[in-house]
Amino acid sequence: MAFPFPQGIAPSEIAFLAEMEMVTIVPRQRLEGLELLGGPVEPLAPPRRASLPLWLALLLKRQRRANIIPPTWLHPEPLSLILEVESQHQDYKHAFSPPPPLPGQPSMHEPGPEPTARPQYTPDGEKYFAAPPFLPHNTAQARTSSGEVPALPYHWIEVGNMLLDAASDDLMDPDQIRRLLKDLREVRMSKMRAGVDVLDAAATGGGGVALTGVGAMELGEERGFLTGVVDNLRKIGASKEQARREQLAEQRANGGYNGTQDEEEDYMEF
Amino acid sequence: MSYYDIDSILTDAQKLPCTFELEVPGLGVLEGNPGEDIKAGTRIDLPLWLGEMLSIAARIGTSRLVTLDMPEALSERVMNALKADPRTVDLRALAPHFYNLSERILELFEEEELVDVLTDTFKRRAAEIADQAHNPRGAVGDGVEFLRGLDETERQLFRAAHDRAKAMRIWAGEAKRK
Amino acid sequence: MDIDDILASVDRGAGASTESTAIDHQLLTRFWVAERAVSEVLPWPAPLMERMMDRVRLQIETIEDLAASSADTDLSTKQHTHNPNLNLRLSILQTDLARTQYIIRSLLRQRLSKLTKHSMHYLVKLASRNKNPLSQTPSQSQSQSQPPPSQALSPEDSVPDISQVTDYAPLSAQECAFVHAHQTLLAGHYGGSFMGAFPPQLRRLDDNAGGTSMVQGPDMKEVVFVRCLKYEVPVVVEGVDGGEDLGVIMRMGDVWVVLWEGVRNAWMKGEVELL
Repeated sequence: MAFPFPQGIAPSEIAFLAEMEMVTIVPRQRLEGLELLGGPVEPLAPPRRASLPLWLALLLKRQRRANIIPPTWLHPEPLSLILEVESQHQDYKHAFSPPPPLPGQPSMHEPGPEPTARPQYTPDGEKYFAAPPFLPHNTAQARTSSGEVPALPYHWIEVGNMLLDAASDDLMDPDQIRRLLKDLREVRMSKMRAGVDVLDAAATGGGGVALTGVGAMELGEERGFLTGVVDNLRKIGASKEQARREQLAEQRANGGYNGTQDEEEDYMEF
Repeated sequence: MSYYDIDSILTDAQKLPCTFELEVPGLGVLEGNPGEDIKAGTRIDLPLWLGEMLSIAARIGTSRLVTLDMPEALSERVMNALKADPRTVDLRALAPHFYNLSERILELFEEEELVDVLTDTFKRRAAEIADQAHNPRGAVGDGVEFLRGLDETERQLFRAAHDRAKAMRIWAGEAKRK
Repeated sequence: MDIDDILASVDRGAGASTESTAIDHQLLTRFWVAERAVSEVLPWPAPLMERMMDRVRLQIETIEDLAASSADTDLSTKQHTHNPNLNLRLSILQTDLARTQYIIRSLLRQRLSKLTKHSMHYLVKLASRNKNPLSQTPSQSQSQSQPPPSQALSPEDSVPDISQVTDYAPLSAQECAFVHAHQTLLAGHYGGSFMGAFPPQLRRLDDNAGGTSMVQGPDMKEVVFVRCLKYEVPVVVEGVDGGEDLGVIMRMGDVWVVLWEGVRNAWMKGEVELL
């Protein structure tokens, strides 16, 4: 059966997902609460702020029924800070800046207690760990505690682009924001490219390459390339991998295997 | 090997130098001499599937029929050129399914060094492919020649990278037009 | 009993419906992204899909009622004072409905496209799993002895019989019926257009002569992108002695490029999500 998209969600589908991110609005009119298939929507009563999915916020914005309060990170100041981390910071020369934490995960910048994932429960009684776009990473929060470094959310390109497009009058200095987003994209794109060199690690069994902090659209843009590279590296190296495993089996059979010996070998940070 | 995969079928048809160890009566047809015999020591290029079959038959106890050699595409000369600068080698001219052929050859010969050279070659060419694929103006200058020399696997990689980058631009462009 | 589980049983009680609407929507979205990310057909989440389809049906009724009431008020003259937000509410409800329908449609089409691509693989898998030793033996000897192979063999004969199958995993019952009907039609078409002219022994669609099977399954060695949702999740690799060995450890919030087979179990348990 004909299906129009290649494997892995395409840019248009990624944008569709990003429209599920919650944003903060100030309504300009009243509206009673609604029971949507995506979950309940709170009643709107100006001038009280409300959190709505981006698609709905944009629908109201286009009809001048609401103003959007920009996400905490979508201001010139935090974006400049992130750009500085991405381009100057020693620890992130080859890695993306850390993403916003998941529920139960302490901020990456202040190593605190061990993270404990906080599950919700599905109607079938299974644990469910929420992740973007279903976390409040794009709402307007009260000014964060001092010293807290802002983070780029998973759908940063899409949310940034859509808000610049439909709600630039709600943003503070949209031209500056546009420039910063473009610079961020370029810095991060070159990191992604440089990563080809370590992709062998993802081609071996039990190995992998970390892309932590990557954005959804960045992944969408590169996934065809990345999977193609890893796939072929795996095929080229298949005979060597086979030999390695046979050797390992032999060592183990002779009792000479030391369990932790090559545990770390496949680990690569991007 | 995948039954319906055109690329692996075409790889199967790529030629491999084979040397007959025994005289085979009536097989002269492979040499272009129907009806004649093939003498021991004759060197003929045979398709991979045939060469592989004849050489594997030798392994299972019957007397050795043919021995296989490295194809020209994976010769010492080519490996040296790849070590020098992988981006200037026209892989397509060497073998349209260069990497697929290599994978099959590596199943037959144990050549760890070959694995390393090919891995490095592929990584360096892949980085160049990514750059070319993201260039919205299309290939220019040296790029044209490089892209012409891509083998089939690399072409598919280029297409994947290019299509995704294009879809991304279309999305971003539409977002502006709305 | 874990305190989490006790809380969960309370959560599942009556009145949790609006929260479960939101969570179901998130589960559906996550499942759709996952289905789009791998080449195998993932296990059909029957209870979730049933709840979703029920909600979609109810929502369509709600929208129809609302639209009807809007038509009523149009006739009267006091429409504006009556409910100025009616059209807005309608357009929001319709957009929300269309978005959900889009996900469901894309999900189903993606699954059908995988199913048709690997139809024989899934049919063979279904037929083999439900081997009932009592019913199997006679049917097997039947198929071998009854039709004289030289005359009656057609491509359709190699389509596995799944009429006795009761466990459809990873498919839904409808998908199961679809893939069988699809493959039967396809085999008939092959037979009529070219395979019928072949010698009988070459008319099969599940041959594996020459070491290459005609039955092609999804690629389990493919690479995927995952986000780790728990404190620590190891990538596993089939051990050299047949067991499981641990590979690298992913930490909460990490995004990794890994082989699908190395995280498949973790995905089944909801410890990682596919991106």
